[in-house]
Amino acid sequence: MYGAETSKRLDEAGIGPGDRIRVAKKGKVYEGVLMPRPEIGNGNILIIKQDDGYNIGVNADGAGIEKLRGKAEGMVFPKAQMRQGSSLPKVRLVYTGGTIGAKIDYKTGGVYMLTKPEELLYEVPELSDIAEISVSQTSSIASEDMSSDEWAAIANEVSRSINNGARGVIVTLGTDSMHYASAALSFMLRDLNAPVVLTGAQRSPDRGSSDAFQNLICSAHLAAKSDMAEVGICMHDSSSDGRCAFLRGTKARKMHTSRRDAFRPINAKPIAFVDADGTMAYVSSYKKADWKGKVTPLTGFERKVAFVKAFPNSDPDIIDYYAGRGYRGIVIEGMGLGHTPASTVKKELSWIPHVRSATDSGIVIGITSQCIYGRVNPNVYRNLRLLHNAGAIHCEDMLPETAYVKLGWLLGNYKPEEARAMLSRNLAGEISRRTTYNEFLI
Amino acid sequence: MEVKDVSYYRRIGFLCGLEIHQRLATAEKLFCSCTATLQQGELPAAEVRRRQRAVAGELGAVDRAASFEQEKEQQFIYRVSDGHACLVDIDEEPPHSLNAEAMAAALSISCGMHADIPDELEPMRKLVVDGSNPSAFQRTTKVGMDGYLNVNGTRVAITSVFLEEESAGIERRAEDGVVYDTGRIGIPLVEIDTDPHLGSPEKAKETALAIGTLLRLTGKAQRGIGTIRQDVNVSIMGGARVEIKGLQDLDSLDKFVENEVLRQQNLVKIKEELSGRKNASVGGAVDITHLFTSTGVKIISNAISSGGIVLGIALGGFGGILGREINPERRLGTEISDYAKMGGVNGIIHSDEDPRKYGFRPGEMEAAAKALGAGEGDAFILIAGRRDSAYTAASFASERAKAAIGLGVVPETRAAVNNNMHTTKFMRPLAGRSRMYPETDATPIEVSGSMLAEARASAPDLDAAMAGLMSELKSRALADQMIMSPRLQLYRELAGEAGSDKAFIANTLLQKFTEMRRAGCNVDAIPAGRLSGLFKAHSEGRITKNAVEEILKSLSERDADIEDIIKARGLSRVTGSGLRKIVLEELEAAGGGGNRGAIINRIMSKHRLNVDGDELNRILSEEGRHGKEA
Repeated sequence: MYGAETSKRLDEAGIGPGDRIRVAKKGKVYEGVLMPRPEIGNGNILIIKQDDGYNIGVNADGAGIEKLRGKAEGMVFPKAQMRQGSSLPKVRLVYTGGTIGAKIDYKTGGVYMLTKPEELLYEVPELSDIAEISVSQTSSIASEDMSSDEWAAIANEVSRSINNGARGVIVTLGTDSMHYASAALSFMLRDLNAPVVLTGAQRSPDRGSSDAFQNLICSAHLAAKSDMAEVGICMHDSSSDGRCAFLRGTKARKMHTSRRDAFRPINAKPIAFVDADGTMAYVSSYKKADWKGKVTPLTGFERKVAFVKAFPNSDPDIIDYYAGRGYRGIVIEGMGLGHTPASTVKKELSWIPHVRSATDSGIVIGITSQCIYGRVNPNVYRNLRLLHNAGAIHCEDMLPETAYVKLGWLLGNYKPEEARAMLSRNLAGEISRRTTYNEFLI
Repeated sequence: MEVKDVSYYRRIGFLCGLEIHQRLATAEKLFCSCTATLQQGELPAAEVRRRQRAVAGELGAVDRAASFEQEKEQQFIYRVSDGHACLVDIDEEPPHSLNAEAMAAALSISCGMHADIPDELEPMRKLVVDGSNPSAFQRTTKVGMDGYLNVNGTRVAITSVFLEEESAGIERRAEDGVVYDTGRIGIPLVEIDTDPHLGSPEKAKETALAIGTLLRLTGKAQRGIGTIRQDVNVSIMGGARVEIKGLQDLDSLDKFVENEVLRQQNLVKIKEELSGRKNASVGGAVDITHLFTSTGVKIISNAISSGGIVLGIALGGFGGILGREINPERRLGTEISDYAKMGGVNGIIHSDEDPRKYGFRPGEMEAAAKALGAGEGDAFILIAGRRDSAYTAASFASERAKAAIGLGVVPETRAAVNNNMHTTKFMRPLAGRSRMYPETDATPIEVSGSMLAEARASAPDLDAAMAGLMSELKSRALADQMIMSPRLQLYRELAGEAGSDKAFIANTLLQKFTEMRRAGCNVDAIPAGRLSGLFKAHSEGRITKNAVEEILKSLSERDADIEDIIKARGLSRVTGSGLRKIVLEELEAAGGGGNRGAIINRIMSKHRLNVDGDELNRILSEEGRHGKEA
């Protein structure tokens, strides 16, 4: 993004990004292709790609700028060629945006989302040996911009695809909120009868080291060959290439900002491992696919559900705030076994009366733990009992994010008393009755 | 024989340019806070395995060199130690901001090369998929262009100065992939490129020396093996640009260049000869495993018995040419073999070789020739190995053979073979321009007026440094030697101590070290801190010059505390009244007179390491005078 003055000069000279230009300044001459400018720094500095491939910045102030002959250079992608009508399993790839669809951006200097999802297939030609893949697109946004509307759109597209004969579905999306989306799809896709594999990338596919290639390949294997009727996340199992893990959609969480193996199973083991060569190993029980009947998308979602964290010194008025704004549900991320402050000495810090008053007014309140691992408990300490008696529902070993999504979905589709009853009941693998020793920090 | 002077090189269209890479001595790496100083011995905490693939560059095209590496289907194994590498180095975390200390040093070097510094620096990614960068690219930024350097009276154009990150070093090639040590990744590096008109191999060597000197003058150059690397680009008229990497010894740089010229000349001759033969052609790979089921050739029978195959490729019109020497002990067949090896086989066998060398049974080679349709004046090659490797190798080999007809010289990156023959071997195709795209994780850096002023003020200046050394050392010869020495920076540190004997330090680092190295002492292993303590002990008058040498010998064998060595070996200097006592005893033993030279010899033979010759002379003169007066 060039500054106003420089943009005007470039426009007047008929120069745009991609044009070959000559800039003369203080007796020096710089030649090359004008590059677009990222939206940072000094907007008067022209970025020129020199013939050796390097970019340099030359301040346009006091410089003569001249357009040279020659064709503007642009990005050219060979057309993606996917085999059609083969005997390979039919797999639908639903593209939504995210790093996996990121490309170098000429316009901002950063990354932008693919507008043609087929380009993704061009980057990974191996996919056409695994499945006959067709592509559809529901959005082109980063996952932090996703809302329940996008989840509903994905659920509808996935249902349609499976009901129209897709053996499995791959959904590519941004990773930051992927575990929210996987939880949402787990609840929304009723009577699921085929594998639904969510995947993405921690390194964008414009670099040769991207994890996108293997994540897509493993996801394609799962969608084309596995017999699971599950929604799950398929990403790198370790920092090394070679194997992906398939994690239950309600039991997965992004546990690292940048590592390839950021997604971990919480209070669960992976459902399966899959190697880049297609070898699969199932390590947990799962619902079998039969590809019979119809998948029904139940996509209602109550946005007036809040997600709040209790912490030392936290102001319990936050509950009243949401109650006053018409919120119908609140998931509290409590401390330890599910505590909120409940002091009878420092009464102003106690959440108990606020929770009581909220539940009395019909708001559903769920309790989870910021420990992430383990199960909340309503009985061990007096303060836990107080919270329980105030009408809050303890969400067992459910992930806080999953509980948030579940409550939004329940309130969007069921009556409040039904939602209340269903919150602590397992619907889509989000609650397990047993937690085993080996499910911690894996 | 023609004299190979500058006019000869002009006549053959000789082009030669240098790329000098120097690691910078900064506290931290270029894009993270790991130490930039390599230390040996830390065990790796983890091993990470990755694959890489060639992806479209900024303008959409996939680089030739990058796709070549991918065809090799390599797995890369990165050994990671907590002390030397963090998540940034193994491509698991975005880069932190560019190291300001490294940038200041790079800008200062740019100024020293009289280069034009861009108004804004634009960090780029250079696509590299040979595994040497876990991210599959190297971060590199142009910090200077269009500069020059005076080298022995001629002006050498410096086209560019770059600030980039060091890559990983290959530890070994294992069965299941290439093993890299990640400690090196991300150490700041400056690259200095000259223009390709260095004129002669000799001039190329002089220029490399001069650039090395200027870099050391900054005080920001790392010392030690591998901290500076010289790549040379060479071409001749009718040839092609070839980049030679991995030159370990600057002294032989000119010889490598001379051999590359010879190689290109011979390849051009071969091309001309092949174009004279109307049928020059390269056939397809044919599976002729069945002809060798009972062969006595080990490499073939081993391949077959482990389930592999034998492929043959007919080379029409190549008869006699595969065996032609193009460089000392290297033939066209060797070049083709180097390509085949990239496919994962051990090499090739070709029809210009003596079949008895391999142990072929009579008739085997003839049967192969027949099956491949190779007749009189033709040649063929055989490739044995695992099925997939053999076919990949065959496609690489036939690509190289076709190039002998069409191109003559192939634009390549070649590795120096350090076996005293000064020859090179194929590494990968020369990288093209599409390797570059912007590093979007790092922001452009506008070069401020104060950054420029600081760079100019700290720029290395050869003339000023020379004048400084002259006044310190009082000897042109010593100053000349010191300015070119890799130990200049060390000298400056040691000579910077108060009261230091600069000429003695210079002489020790230059002459004494060379002498001792020749005698088998590993003086280069002595830590700089020890040397500093040693020269301090000398300048404080606590040890003699002879003791300094003795302690150096001891340190080169085993590191120890200087004071402990002095005590244990009885190396304290005997001076003042102590020395006077020795002199008086000797004078008395000699009957109060005697030959002065003989007395000195007697004292020095007993106390060589503890007595300073000058002081002894002075005391002798004084005592002699006293004696006479008495």
